[in-house]
Amino acid sequence: MTDKTILSVDNLALSYGSNPILKGVSMQLRRGEVVSLLGPSGSGKTTLLRAVAGLEQPHQGSVTIAGRAIYDAAAGIDVPAEKRDLGLVFQSYALWPHKTVFDNVAYPLKLRKVAANEIVQRVHSALKNLGLDHLAERYPHQLSGGQQQRVSIARALVYNPPVILLDEPLSNLDAKMREEARAWLRNLIVEMQLSALVVTHDQSEAMAMSDRILLLNGGVIEQQGTPTEMYGQPQTYFVAGFMGSNNIMSGRIGDIKGGEARIDLDNGISVWGLRRTNAAIGHEARAVIRVEQAQLADAGGHNRAEVDLATSMFLGDRYEYVFHAGPDLLRAWGKRHEAPGKRWLELPGDAVWIF
Amino acid sequence: MLQTLPRRAVVALLALSVFFPLGLVIYQSVLSGPFFMPAAALSLESYAFIIDDPDFWQAARNTIAVAVGMGVIAIPLGAILAFIMVRTDLPGRKWLEMPIMIPIFVSPVVLGFGYVVSLGPVGFFSVWFSDIFGSVPWNIYSLASIIVIAGLTHVPHVYLYSSSALRNLGSDVEEAARLSGASPFRVARDVSIPMVSPALLYVGVLVFFLGFEIFGLPLILGDPEGHLVLTTYLYKLTNKLGTPSYHLMAAVATCIIAVTFPLVLLQRALLKTAQRFVAMKGKSARQRPLALGPWKWLALALILAWLFVTVVVPVAGIALRSVVSSWGQGVNLLEVLTLDHFRAVLEEETMIRSIINSILIGTLGGALAVGCYLAVGLATHRQNDGLSRLVDYIVLTPRAVPGLMAGLAVFWVFLFVPFLAPARSTLFSVWFAYAVVWLAYGMRLIQSALMQVGPELEEAGRLVGASRARVSRDITVPLIRNGLLGAWLLVFMIFEREYSTGVYLLSPGTEVIGAQIVSLWASGAVDVVAALSLINMALVGIGLAVALRFGVKLHD
Amino acid sequence: MNITRRGLLAGLTVVALNAALGLAPAHAQTTAELAAAAQKEGKLVIYGVTDNEQANHLIREFRSMYPAINVEYSNMSTTELYNRFISETAAGSSADVTWSSAMDLQIKLVNDGYAQPHKSAETARLPEWANWKNEAFGTTYEPIGFVYNKRLIPAADVPQTHADFIKLLGTQTDKFKGKVNTYDPEKSGVGFMLVTQDKQVNAAGFADLQKALGAVQVKVQASTGTMMERIASGENLIGYNLNAAYALTRAQKDPSIGIVMPKDYTLVLSRVMFIARKAKNPNAAKLWLDFVLSKKGQEIIANKADLYAIRPDVEGETTASGLRKQLGDALRPVAINTGLLTYLDQAKRLEFLKQWNSAVKGK
Repeated sequence: MTDKTILSVDNLALSYGSNPILKGVSMQLRRGEVVSLLGPSGSGKTTLLRAVAGLEQPHQGSVTIAGRAIYDAAAGIDVPAEKRDLGLVFQSYALWPHKTVFDNVAYPLKLRKVAANEIVQRVHSALKNLGLDHLAERYPHQLSGGQQQRVSIARALVYNPPVILLDEPLSNLDAKMREEARAWLRNLIVEMQLSALVVTHDQSEAMAMSDRILLLNGGVIEQQGTPTEMYGQPQTYFVAGFMGSNNIMSGRIGDIKGGEARIDLDNGISVWGLRRTNAAIGHEARAVIRVEQAQLADAGGHNRAEVDLATSMFLGDRYEYVFHAGPDLLRAWGKRHEAPGKRWLELPGDAVWIF
Repeated sequence: MLQTLPRRAVVALLALSVFFPLGLVIYQSVLSGPFFMPAAALSLESYAFIIDDPDFWQAARNTIAVAVGMGVIAIPLGAILAFIMVRTDLPGRKWLEMPIMIPIFVSPVVLGFGYVVSLGPVGFFSVWFSDIFGSVPWNIYSLASIIVIAGLTHVPHVYLYSSSALRNLGSDVEEAARLSGASPFRVARDVSIPMVSPALLYVGVLVFFLGFEIFGLPLILGDPEGHLVLTTYLYKLTNKLGTPSYHLMAAVATCIIAVTFPLVLLQRALLKTAQRFVAMKGKSARQRPLALGPWKWLALALILAWLFVTVVVPVAGIALRSVVSSWGQGVNLLEVLTLDHFRAVLEEETMIRSIINSILIGTLGGALAVGCYLAVGLATHRQNDGLSRLVDYIVLTPRAVPGLMAGLAVFWVFLFVPFLAPARSTLFSVWFAYAVVWLAYGMRLIQSALMQVGPELEEAGRLVGASRARVSRDITVPLIRNGLLGAWLLVFMIFEREYSTGVYLLSPGTEVIGAQIVSLWASGAVDVVAALSLINMALVGIGLAVALRFGVKLHD
Repeated sequence: MNITRRGLLAGLTVVALNAALGLAPAHAQTTAELAAAAQKEGKLVIYGVTDNEQANHLIREFRSMYPAINVEYSNMSTTELYNRFISETAAGSSADVTWSSAMDLQIKLVNDGYAQPHKSAETARLPEWANWKNEAFGTTYEPIGFVYNKRLIPAADVPQTHADFIKLLGTQTDKFKGKVNTYDPEKSGVGFMLVTQDKQVNAAGFADLQKALGAVQVKVQASTGTMMERIASGENLIGYNLNAAYALTRAQKDPSIGIVMPKDYTLVLSRVMFIARKAKNPNAAKLWLDFVLSKKGQEIIANKADLYAIRPDVEGETTASGLRKQLGDALRPVAINTGLLTYLDQAKRLEFLKQWNSAVKGK
């Protein structure tokens, strides 16, 4: 815990009745970092965010912000949400419909008893930063979705909280807008030198926006690291499968050579890959390889298999080839349409993970 | 911790307001005389007395007969009415919505009186009918009549819940039935109504419960032939021994509560189930109304017939009675028209006071009551801890106490609690009794308004630094303003309709129209009762019109 | 010398003490003294069963005589009056004066010590049976009789005695079936008292009376007003034991109402008034009582309030003396004494009710 750590969560556990949701989660957020909490639904990522905000009640662990303990089960500390001084941007934006944009953003300052003229100045400055100044007297229902989100962000930032929390910030936007928005959002956070904790279920979003990703599964952090690490060096089968698009096949370990292993797949193919499991020879294992790593080859060779090309699907920017390998369906990408028939498929050994 | 203090204070005040009067009643029932007499000692003789009294058993039997009969009549009619109004293309649906609600808000004493004046042995309709047909085939004073009228007037209650449940169903299941060849009637019988069966079960228990607490109707219609129900038996005990039999009355009230309280708990459980059931089917697809075809005229005729018997007949009777000086066999109505009764009412100080008081208690009192309900509602809003569950049960309790007894208990409280004593002969004591008796109703209104506020709006408030109290003040309450206004209107109407709770609190300064009518009816001043009843209905009518004009939802 | 001076001082002290404590000196206060003390109190609270309209005649006159006294009159039923009075007295204090036609309940209250005595020139005028220990006073003289619908009963059939009544019901049972009404002794204290008086005065004929009423399936009601309403409309043809004073008022407006005061015996009710021992305004109360019993008050009672005056020296049709000219010995005023307490005994009361119910209702 360096003094650059702005938010620190230690062994936080939370249950709904007898149902455990968070089973001991620890993480740090450093100043100026953007960290994503990523995971499937039910993994506990939103619960973790809300617990940090003070909207959920853990029963174990501690949360510290800028060196100040805001939750500590052992010491009996539980600072109420309104005193934690965090910013939270809700998935639904949660703008108060009976207040104007100005009043929405001014409310936190009013609560902090800031002088009236200072409020006006700070609110207009915050709105200007987000390009909303001309909308100050409008009501939320008169704004578009994107504008509402910006107001929500302005409101969360106007009182300069040390950490800003964002709950699925892009999921309300349609797919096209999402790509633009994620760039804009990351840019905003970095420019304003904020420290942000973002919850998302979309792994490409997480990779695009974050400095680090925490992947949660069933209430625990399965792996954390930079986007490159998460994508290129998955430590568990779950992580490998969650990130990217994959071909997954089952089989048994045929041979082990140091950090590599050969897997004899049920569909008859045998490939060498990077060993990521301690299973012994003869035991069951799975092979995972990213779709973009599988290549069509002209002839047989090491880690190549003869498979049935069933169809080529045009996706706009590329073709996706669907292969039958025994009972398995494999996919690869390419630039040309390929006719169906028996083809050679290469699965490079340094791109295959064996779990 | 500081923010839990006002919350605990509100709940403590609530518990005190509810349990202290109730406790007095139960305590009184195990004494041998009025609790304030030094001679009174602990004893079960009051229970022994009523168990020995054949009148008590007659009243109990009649009450069950009425409760069951009401259910048998009101539930099928109400369910079918709901189906017709919500799901079919009945002509004039929009115009019928308001008249259907009227029986809920007309005071039962007024209603009973209206039936006597219209359908009694020498009622207007009876006289006309016998002029044409020679004799009158019905007896308005029989137990059967009481049951029928009680059943018919409770159809709107069943309608409210059934229609709300039906509105929440998707129409695809019914359309599937139509395509398979079922007529609208069979669709109703085989598909819609079974699907709202949890709501119907709840309503069944509700109607049975309401049967136990009806007072005004059997008071007026049951008197001449001596048909008693438990509430009128309680009222009769005021007199039976010559000297006050508070302990007997308390014993009867305790017996009534022993039945009604479990019923109230059962209702709560069933309501939660019904709501869950409907929420699961929440596919609110666009509902296309079922075409009734030629059936629509029959349906319309039946509905109008029901409205005629339940609303037009008694109301017309009262209106007529209030402007004639004499009536009955051999009297030509056109010769006896007069405004004397209204003049008498407006010249009599106590009458004027009762009208003014009724208006005050409905408007100011209603607003104050809504304010108190809001305070309790906010104390338990979004906090599912033990305190909130406790409040849930506390709030249900007064519902189980017969209004008559609740009023008497409040009278005792205000009589013997020193700092409350000066308020006794003011309207405050009546308001207090009303507010406590209708606690559950008011709380439901408030809670459904509070539910409309998305939890995130309140969480956002807390995140930016507002305490729970400030969130309530700055965010929750402004957002439910319309709901509060609607609640105020409904509480206004309920307070205007009230009659039994104020009976024992009647004194100069605390007269309200409803209790005044009960008292005047007993002394036989029928002219004045008629005029006052009309005024009472006018007040309720104004409230109803305003409510519908502003689109206040009369159902949950 | 010293002794007489000390004696004088003592005597003076006693008088001063008496005056300071407001104790009544040996002689009754004069009306002037009473009026002065009453006006100083400035307020009077009355609980009564008389309708506001009727009571107002008396109150208005009283107020014009003593404008400084603010009169608060509450109209309530007989049991309500009893209940409220004892509850409030237990909690501190209640009305200054109670005025009720439930003679038995009033006597019970007086007997239980709730009243204070008062003696004056006016109280001395009352007949002996109407004044009990100078604590309870009868203020009116209301005859009880039959009330019938003139349109529906031919003059020849109208019964003039109790025996006639029984005979009428017996011979024309079908016509009168379900069309006769009377008080419900279970619901009305006054009604109960009247039938017990019937039994006392006419022990021999009482059983026949009950049988006759049972034969026509008499309809019982809780009040005179309700009974009269049903008779006027024709729903009922004749009523038994109604207050003739009320009926007279009604008859003036409604030509279909006919009244009979039975010639064999006519019970007479007298509204009992007493002054509460814990009265907050005792002098105003005494002044009021004297006023009600005074000639002026009684004249108002007779002529304006539609009740009957009890004071023997008031002349007119609606007075005791007027009735005496009409009915002479047939008049049977209910005496105001502890005899009224007999049927307040729970066991006896229930016994009577049980017997009444089985005879009259066949239960």
